Amino acid sequence: MKKSINLTDVELAADDLRRHTLSHMPEPLERMIYLGSTRDYNTGLYYHDGLASRFSDEVACEALANCHREAYRMLLSSSVEDLVLQIDSYIRSTHAAPRDFIAAWKSLQPYRVAVPASTDPLAVEFLCGNVRVALAIWAAHRDGRSRQRPDASPQLSPVR
Amino acid sequence: MIQLILSLFVGLVLVVSLYFFARRAKPSAEGSAQQLREARQTLDSLQYGLLPNDLVERIFAREDLEYVFSAAPPDVQSLFLADRKNVALGWVRRVRAAVLELMRFHRGHARLHARLSFSTEIRLALNFAGLLTACRLLQITFYLRGPYAAPGMVRTAAAAASRVCSISENSLAFLNVKGVDPLNSGAARHRA
Repeated sequence: MKKSINLTDVELAADDLRRHTLSHMPEPLERMIYLGSTRDYNTGLYYHDGLASRFSDEVACEALANCHREAYRMLLSSSVEDLVLQIDSYIRSTHAAPRDFIAAWKSLQPYRVAVPASTDPLAVEFLCGNVRVALAIWAAHRDGRSRQRPDASPQLSPVR
Repeated sequence: MIQLILSLFVGLVLVVSLYFFARRAKPSAEGSAQQLREARQTLDSLQYGLLPNDLVERIFAREDLEYVFSAAPPDVQSLFLADRKNVALGWVRRVRAAVLELMRFHRGHARLHARLSFSTEIRLALNFAGLLTACRLLQITFYLRGPYAAPGMVRTAAAAASRVCSISENSLAFLNVKGVDPLNSGAARHRA
């Protein structure tokens, strides 16, 4: 990782990532979870085979890190209402059973480890609190609606 | 005889004072550099971690409160308020700690390294005093009445903190190293 890398290459790689892999993930929450999962927790370095084969390991790592920070910043500026919608969209994309998903996210809190390195602890605490509340709102709506129509999607935005 | 004793006593006091003054006025180069680095880190944390407008607006956004109170059951509303109160208190505590750190630095070292004018010093001192008072008032308000009780004071405190940062930045400007490759430092930053 000591090798010096070209900024233009990093930008090209990041654009490539946004146009291909990330274009299937429109929401910042999904992007942040995905990009966090491309990071090796033992070294803190990001890996992406396709991107590394087109550019280099170093450039791919830098591009992934940039996109990760970008997704984190977008998520941080999301309102609670928007987060509820993002959670809804993310749960649908995972095809997991909502009850299992909620249980896993409440106990494991995967969003805590999915934030980029060197982020401000207060901002992380703020984000995690928002996700926790949004998750609780999503679950409450689902339970409330489940009592009426078990297969319908939750009414996520009563304010709108 | 009494006059002689008095003169000797005054002389002794002066010598002792001079000794302590000389010791304080010559901080070790290593310690001084360390304090400068710490001041720079404090300033960066304040400017880029705690004071960006979007973060402050997001933490104290009433739209979240209105949404949660219209869409969430009571237990989730309580959870939300408790979370926001903790974040608001954490924010103001950290801003206050960073301001105190910068104030200590200015009092002890900045004058040795930067030539601040008298009016700038006075302005800085007033800003520090006003900011610390505002932070303390905010802490009490958040604690007693919750995070949404004083939006105007939050904006005022954030603006005052930004002013203090700008002035402090001038006295620490010489620490900004030019020509450092951001990518090389970035690679290290990615390591968890």
